[in-house]
Amino acid sequence: MATVSVGVVANPASGRDVRRLVTGASVFDNAEKGAMVHRLMAGLGAAGVDRVIMMPAGSGVSQSLQRHLGGRTGHLAAQRLPELEVLDMVVHEDERDSAAAVRAMAERRVAAIVVLGGDGTHRVVAAHCGDIPLCALSTGTNNAFPELREATVAGVAAGLVATARLEGDGLLRREKQLQVNVNGDVRRDSALVDVAVTTERWVGARALWRADTISEAVVTFASPGAVGLSAVAAAVSPVPRAARHGLHLRLAPPERAPTVVTVPFAPGLVTEVGVVQARRVEPGQAVPLTPLAGCLALDGERELELGPSDRVTVRLAEGPLVIDVDAVLARAARQRALNGSARPRAPTL
Amino acid sequence: MTTTAPPDQASKQQLLEWYRTMRTIREFEERLHKEFATGEIPGFVHLYAGEEAIATGVITHLRLDDYIASTHRGHGHAIAKGCDVRAMMAEIYGKRDGLCHGKGGSMHIADVDKGMLGANGIVGGGPPMICGVGLSAKIRGTDQVGVSFTGDGGSNQGTFLESLNLAAVWHLPCVYVVENNGYAEATSVKYHAGAGTDIVKRADGFGLPGVVVDGHDFFAVYEAAGEAIARARGGGGPSLLECRVNRYYGHFEGDQQTYRAPGEVEELRRTRDCLDLFARQVTSAGLVDAEELRRVDEEVARLIDDAVADAKAAPEPDPSDLLTDVYVKY
Repeated sequence: MATVSVGVVANPASGRDVRRLVTGASVFDNAEKGAMVHRLMAGLGAAGVDRVIMMPAGSGVSQSLQRHLGGRTGHLAAQRLPELEVLDMVVHEDERDSAAAVRAMAERRVAAIVVLGGDGTHRVVAAHCGDIPLCALSTGTNNAFPELREATVAGVAAGLVATARLEGDGLLRREKQLQVNVNGDVRRDSALVDVAVTTERWVGARALWRADTISEAVVTFASPGAVGLSAVAAAVSPVPRAARHGLHLRLAPPERAPTVVTVPFAPGLVTEVGVVQARRVEPGQAVPLTPLAGCLALDGERELELGPSDRVTVRLAEGPLVIDVDAVLARAARQRALNGSARPRAPTL
Repeated sequence: MTTTAPPDQASKQQLLEWYRTMRTIREFEERLHKEFATGEIPGFVHLYAGEEAIATGVITHLRLDDYIASTHRGHGHAIAKGCDVRAMMAEIYGKRDGLCHGKGGSMHIADVDKGMLGANGIVGGGPPMICGVGLSAKIRGTDQVGVSFTGDGGSNQGTFLESLNLAAVWHLPCVYVVENNGYAEATSVKYHAGAGTDIVKRADGFGLPGVVVDGHDFFAVYEAAGEAIARARGGGGPSLLECRVNRYYGHFEGDQQTYRAPGEVEELRRTRDCLDLFARQVTSAGLVDAEELRRVDEEVARLIDDAVADAKAAPEPDPSDLLTDVYVKY
């Protein structure tokens, strides 16, 4: 039987931006990310995954994971864990790492990739993973795309998908993506939740939290339960994640807008946002954005500094395949996939 | 929450001033690197080249009556806080015209009138002083702010950790800036920081907010530091700002840097240069011409030339100066 491998990208840099100062956003500790990977491995192992191929993760993530792995005594020692392999790669400590790690995982034919990070980390992974199913776990603070979930449970679900032990379809969701084209360069970038034009001229501290600087945004879905631009869009016209269309918003300061909505724009920050116009964006449609001297923000982070002569269009496209954890576990229960073990049993607990 | 204006509206004059400060620090350090090799400069010199965006981006938010406490790598902080560049150069040469009459040298350069409490030979020596600044401002009811600078190595010192605790307990108007340049002297941060390379984690243990920014990007430092300082000034309490950065030279002048990879510094100079990045940003935004930046470069080069020439020509302290300025009379 072929070895089943699952990739893990745990971004050590998520959760430390300036919103801790300006909005009181939470801190997601790297030791907890390491602990999450350990719990994830327990779930993956229980589902029969043989190997975890992980991006090198400094800043305390690896140390925490090693402490947990080294501390497995007693009942934990009896639990089957996948083998852990950390990719041997040059580390830049920026988004190039996630991109390179995902490419290496694809070459190694991993059956799924589990991502621990915020919208930004998922954005980078999604741009490089092709149709490898993602399990999207939130460790950032302002996340609309990944879910806040117990890693053990997510591990079981990702493992069941990776080992192909369930029959039928409907276990994966096709997400949407926004492809950004700057001056004709289609490979420029992409986003999973939103692309926004802000008058903030510099990328600076990156986080987008001054709503009144945003003139325009395109969102893939508009969820009333989200934080940020997706919530702004939802207050005007909710768009379910499963819907094929998206939304294009024109925004203005509240005193100059016909509609003013009050939404959580960042963790700890509920603010008024003025909406001038909201239009449906159909699949494949390219929306030209009005150029300004400012920045283009992708999934809540300022990424590109633009001048008035830059031409930007955003196209709503098909995005990554994401594991539907609830659907997988419900199917597993119906098919009794977790009753007994398909693998040689570890010693009885 | 208190916030500052984003730098979007900065005037051309302001952009050029920031550039001038960064260029002055760079030129000062590059020149010292050359001059130190001749053997004319007494004592130790630790150069700040590569880290200019931090001193400039943080200190531009401070007033004359705010205080900073610096490190052994203190020239950049002193220049950004407004210390006289010629007097600094003379000080480093150990001359009577120096900022501290030649008695401090590079590692004890100070100008209290400018709110610069001194470079500091003691690693982790600055943060407790800044607690004092904060306590003083709080008791006197002023809205002054204190900012300490510490390296990644210094962040392991008890003094640094005790200061974070004291500042949190007393809710002091202080900002603790960590310049994480990747090395504590010759030891990589990968090996010296127990809980991983995130120095910002130190803040969590004391209940302070902590943020990380790219220390090569002036605007990133400017924005985050502006928020931290405005928060402190407005009574919001202390915070920690970790700036990820690189130094272009060794720990000290003469350091053989055998702990660095071949080509590491050349690569950093090529890809991680705060002055290049700033120039690219402001010129491509159409706010400043390349020619205007070049003029600043020339003026700064002349200033440093003059400062070095003056320092070399300046008189040595006299034996009769030995006991002056040694003790402060209260």
